[in-house]
Amino acid sequence: MYIYIQGTGCVSPQETAAGNTFPAAVLPWEGPRLKAWEPDYKQWIDVKLIRRMSRVIKMGVAAAKLSLQEAGVEVPDAIITGTAYGCLDDTGVFLSKMINQQEEMLTPTAFIQSTHNTVAGQIALMLGCHAYNNTFVHKAFSFESALLDSIMILREGRSSSILAGAMDELTNHSFNILSRFDLYKKEPVTYEQLLKSSTHGTVAGEGAACFALGTEKGPNTKAKLTGLTTLYKPVGKAEISPDITSFLAAHNCSQEEVSLVITGRNGDASGDEWYEYVENTLFAGKPVAGFKHLCGEYPTAASFGMWLGNRILAEQQVPADVLLKGKVPEQIKKVLIYNHHKQTHHSLILLTAC
Amino acid sequence: MEKLMAALKAQIVEQLNLQEVKPEDIGDDQPLFKDGLGLDSIDALEIIVLLQQHYGIRIANPEQGPEIFHSVRTIAEFITAHQTAK
Repeated sequence: MYIYIQGTGCVSPQETAAGNTFPAAVLPWEGPRLKAWEPDYKQWIDVKLIRRMSRVIKMGVAAAKLSLQEAGVEVPDAIITGTAYGCLDDTGVFLSKMINQQEEMLTPTAFIQSTHNTVAGQIALMLGCHAYNNTFVHKAFSFESALLDSIMILREGRSSSILAGAMDELTNHSFNILSRFDLYKKEPVTYEQLLKSSTHGTVAGEGAACFALGTEKGPNTKAKLTGLTTLYKPVGKAEISPDITSFLAAHNCSQEEVSLVITGRNGDASGDEWYEYVENTLFAGKPVAGFKHLCGEYPTAASFGMWLGNRILAEQQVPADVLLKGKVPEQIKKVLIYNHHKQTHHSLILLTAC
Repeated sequence: MEKLMAALKAQIVEQLNLQEVKPEDIGDDQPLFKDGLGLDSIDALEIIVLLQQHYGIRIANPEQGPEIFHSVRTIAEFITAHQTAK
């Protein structure tokens, strides 16, 4: 059984939500924090509902609507999301009120909207979808877990159409806290420089990407989701290579057949060593693309990578701004996305053109 | 009463984050719920908290809710009556 990507939607620090194609130009940024480029949400969400939604909910709903529109699906058989941080902004509002008002007179809105499954729930409410609704909160495997659940349900034949996606937001508060963990670059950096950087740290990002997955080809289907796997805390770089080889073999794909490798390179020198190792040992001479100079680093950033992979297969070209090295073949048939988050959560996603 | 109603309208707009509504757009006798301003049960809870925070009023009998929250004027009358009774 094949699993087809029938539609995609993405809200990111780039203009990906305008037209759902790869933007003509990269929106430049400077500094350690990338903020999502937000479309006019009123085109998808009723004004009366928008007033209660924080940014991550709006981003998630917009990405979901875009993907369903492209797929021509009105109500999916299941809604499955992944998020590491959840609805941070509303959580902050609610907790601040608890402290400031000494646990008295707490208003319901921020509490209702602060749970991690708010986005999936909100999408279901808007669509009138009473089917399976699940949200995975597994740090940097949240998106992959949502995808894995979707794949299993589709393979079991319990559903034929699933909305899967991931979303994470960055708030002023969370950015300040994460900065204290020394995750981000101290020196000024631009999108052209980030992936060539040899210093410590990366840039913070956020975004939402959704995929309408199905067991049948849709009118706009361009790619299949061929495989997915996760690797937690591999002992060292040497452990990654055989894992990638066996992952490809399990999906009847050789290294030679991979047309393009998309890596989660983020400009952090020690983290990027993993990608360099894999590029040099397994995919020497292969074209390599990157994406975190467009969306920043966040635990569910692999969803942006998968959105990019699908777009590349759909348009059969790799935008110059994402190609890091190598020559792209005339026909792009298979795209491997290799991403890791802080060197602990590694994931592989294989997409095939159709 | 006019001053109180103007203050209430501004507080409702702020507390409920009514982005497309200005305080002066809300009529004194315009129904707040359903076909009027379109507020819902979550908004009712927000208004209950608003009354508690700004006017120190607790709604003792929930069944009075629909009557009190009918419009800005009915809320203002309830506040005035409550403050007079104090």
